[in-house]
Amino acid sequence: MAAALAVFLVYTALAGGTPSLRPSQVAGHDGRVSVAGKVVGEPTGTARGATGLHFTLRDVQGTATLPVVYRGSVPDLFRTGRDVSVEGSLQNGVFVADKLVTKCPSKYTNKPS
Amino acid sequence: MPELGRAALLLAFGLVVYAALAGGYAAYRARRRLLESATNALFAAFASVGLAAVVLLAALARHDFSFSYVASHTSRELPLGYTLSAFWSGQEGSLLLWLLVLTGMGSAAVVLNRRLVRQVLPWTVPILGALASFFALLLVFVASPFGTQVAPADGVGLNPSLQNPYMLAHPPLLYLGYVGLTIPFAFAMAALASGRADERWIVATRRWTLASWAFLGFAILLGAKWAYEEVGWGGWYAWDPVENAALMPWLVATAYLHSVMVQEKKNMLRVWNAVLVTGAFCLSLFGTFLTRSGVLNSIHSFTESPIGAWFLGFIAVVAAASIALILYRLPVLRSRTRLESLVSREAAFLYNNLFLVAFALTVLWGVIYPLVSDAVRGVAVTVGAPYYDFFAVAFGLPLILLMGVGPLIAWRRASLRALGRSLLWPFGVALVVGALLLAGGAGSSPAGLVGYTFAAFVLAAIVLEFVRGTRARHALGAGSWAGAFTSLVGRNRRRYGGYVVHAAIVLLLIGAIGIGGFATTREAKLSAGQSLAVGDYTVTYLGSEQRRAANAQELRARLAVSRGGDELGTVLAGKNRYFAEQQTSNEVAIRSDWLRAEDLFVIADQFNTDGSVFLKVIVNPLVNLIWLAGLVFVAGSLITMWPDAREQQRLARRFAEDGALARA
Repeated sequence: MAAALAVFLVYTALAGGTPSLRPSQVAGHDGRVSVAGKVVGEPTGTARGATGLHFTLRDVQGTATLPVVYRGSVPDLFRTGRDVSVEGSLQNGVFVADKLVTKCPSKYTNKPS
Repeated sequence: MPELGRAALLLAFGLVVYAALAGGYAAYRARRRLLESATNALFAAFASVGLAAVVLLAALARHDFSFSYVASHTSRELPLGYTLSAFWSGQEGSLLLWLLVLTGMGSAAVVLNRRLVRQVLPWTVPILGALASFFALLLVFVASPFGTQVAPADGVGLNPSLQNPYMLAHPPLLYLGYVGLTIPFAFAMAALASGRADERWIVATRRWTLASWAFLGFAILLGAKWAYEEVGWGGWYAWDPVENAALMPWLVATAYLHSVMVQEKKNMLRVWNAVLVTGAFCLSLFGTFLTRSGVLNSIHSFTESPIGAWFLGFIAVVAAASIALILYRLPVLRSRTRLESLVSREAAFLYNNLFLVAFALTVLWGVIYPLVSDAVRGVAVTVGAPYYDFFAVAFGLPLILLMGVGPLIAWRRASLRALGRSLLWPFGVALVVGALLLAGGAGSSPAGLVGYTFAAFVLAAIVLEFVRGTRARHALGAGSWAGAFTSLVGRNRRRYGGYVVHAAIVLLLIGAIGIGGFATTREAKLSAGQSLAVGDYTVTYLGSEQRRAANAQELRARLAVSRGGDELGTVLAGKNRYFAEQQTSNEVAIRSDWLRAEDLFVIADQFNTDGSVFLKVIVNPLVNLIWLAGLVFVAGSLITMWPDAREQQRLARRFAEDGALARA
């Protein structure tokens, strides 16, 4: 019973999970992925406007960057310097995201960034 | 002052290490006076940790920013209540709270069971001491809350989303639950170490387990309420690892509470219960680790903060030591009674256990899977809501069904015919309710329809139990019907309190299905005067306004709400800009209709420069039953825990006999 459950879980997780990548790993992945990185530079545009919210994600430990455009609700904790995770796909070199989650390093502590 | 705090913690560390070592030697060699001394060390440690806590609270209250902890979690503008709550909003303070509750509860449990601990379970004291030593060690050497710095002019402030009344209560209640699970664990291990296979430790810790479990459950719901109002995406539970961290130990503790009844009644499942109580405790440690080590910040490194590795090591040691102890005592634990039939109360408890534990393991797997896949395949794969939802339904529906069937099955061996007879009514009610809902259009969510049918089944079964019991009492001549009812519940507090808790779970289910399966969402950009229709509500944007509060600038959209032509007044939805924290937070508008138990939920997503506003409006049917379930849950738990003189006498008689047997 336990073994059957274990196999089932592994299978489900493999089939149903979304790959979670660093900005440097995104190139070459078509299809839906999630990317976690640090917001660098000033975000421009509006998330609920025609243009969408534009910002750049950088590897948390590294220098590779990825341009992102996002449309949807912006979470409270989103701002430059925060670690966030976006979900969507790469289209013509720009990552088009429809889901934005702050990784909230500040959920419990408010480190000045 | 920080020196005083540090000294108090160092002293506490010395005391709990003494309680562990001297207590261990005393238990091993049966040295009664040394054990007494170790016990006193545990009490003294509680006092010492209490002093450290007072030092930290005083520093918070005085805005003493020379304490790094105070400076990094509060600011001058922060209201006093939230300033004090910063005690548990950071890692170091939380660890201090852990140790405070652990030494406090441990002392209380030892005092209340003084004779049992002294004569039968001396190992309780050193085990509690050893567990406390770990937290004291962290607080003294790794994560001290009493680090100092040159005081800055102002602190960085408290995360705005934590500035919410529910967040004042949620963490301490959660910790009472987490830490409370230490008590049954310590007594269980002490029973094993002393080679006592009888059920005395279970009886001694029954209320501790129930209370911890009730605290944990209530804290989870408070957290959900906070998320619903403050995080404000329109839902109440998002399978976030932080939430799962508390759910896992609660699920295992729920399984334990059920299976322990089988052990009490039938002396079965001893090994299984020892495993469950260990599992619940390890998961509560794991939960603390998840929320306090920083592992969730970055799924790529398990040991980003210094306490992460310590915690993992500690969990590994606790798990290994417990399993070794269980294996060592296996010959004593083996029960002489066997399961007689697959259709019996015992078997129903067993199925309930399998589903609960399987569900907890599934959640655990979802939480650690990204780390495993990163280590094995080099790419972290996150599992999202669909994974959890699938298993919540797959394991949840049979559990709900068992909740209705279990209490009606006889112990030992039930005849299928008798079972069928007692299930006839609930089954009929479920069919009628299902048909009515289908006719009413609830078929839009098939899983929801099935869930509601099951909910009706369980509620009918519970009501039937109350009716049958009351009738029987009344027939015995208990006077009025109301008198018969109260005497029924009063004489069987555990049983009928348990039913009330079951009813709470059903209410939760009804609310959760309402919001999960039948919510309506609309989004639109509105200029002043424009309206948006959602369900049978109409929301009209009247204009925006600004106000300056003590620590934030408040921006609000004023909205008129009407339903079916009736004006229902105005609501305000908007954002706060916090000065010290330099952060924006969404302040959603929630209009609750208690009669229908439904909410109108408005998020002002974006204020545009031309004066228009982007709104997201959600109608959440029946969602308030979730919060009502929390109150019913507490009421049911209190009934099961309420002191009962008759029960005490029964137990005293039973263990007088047992004791005689054990000596013979």
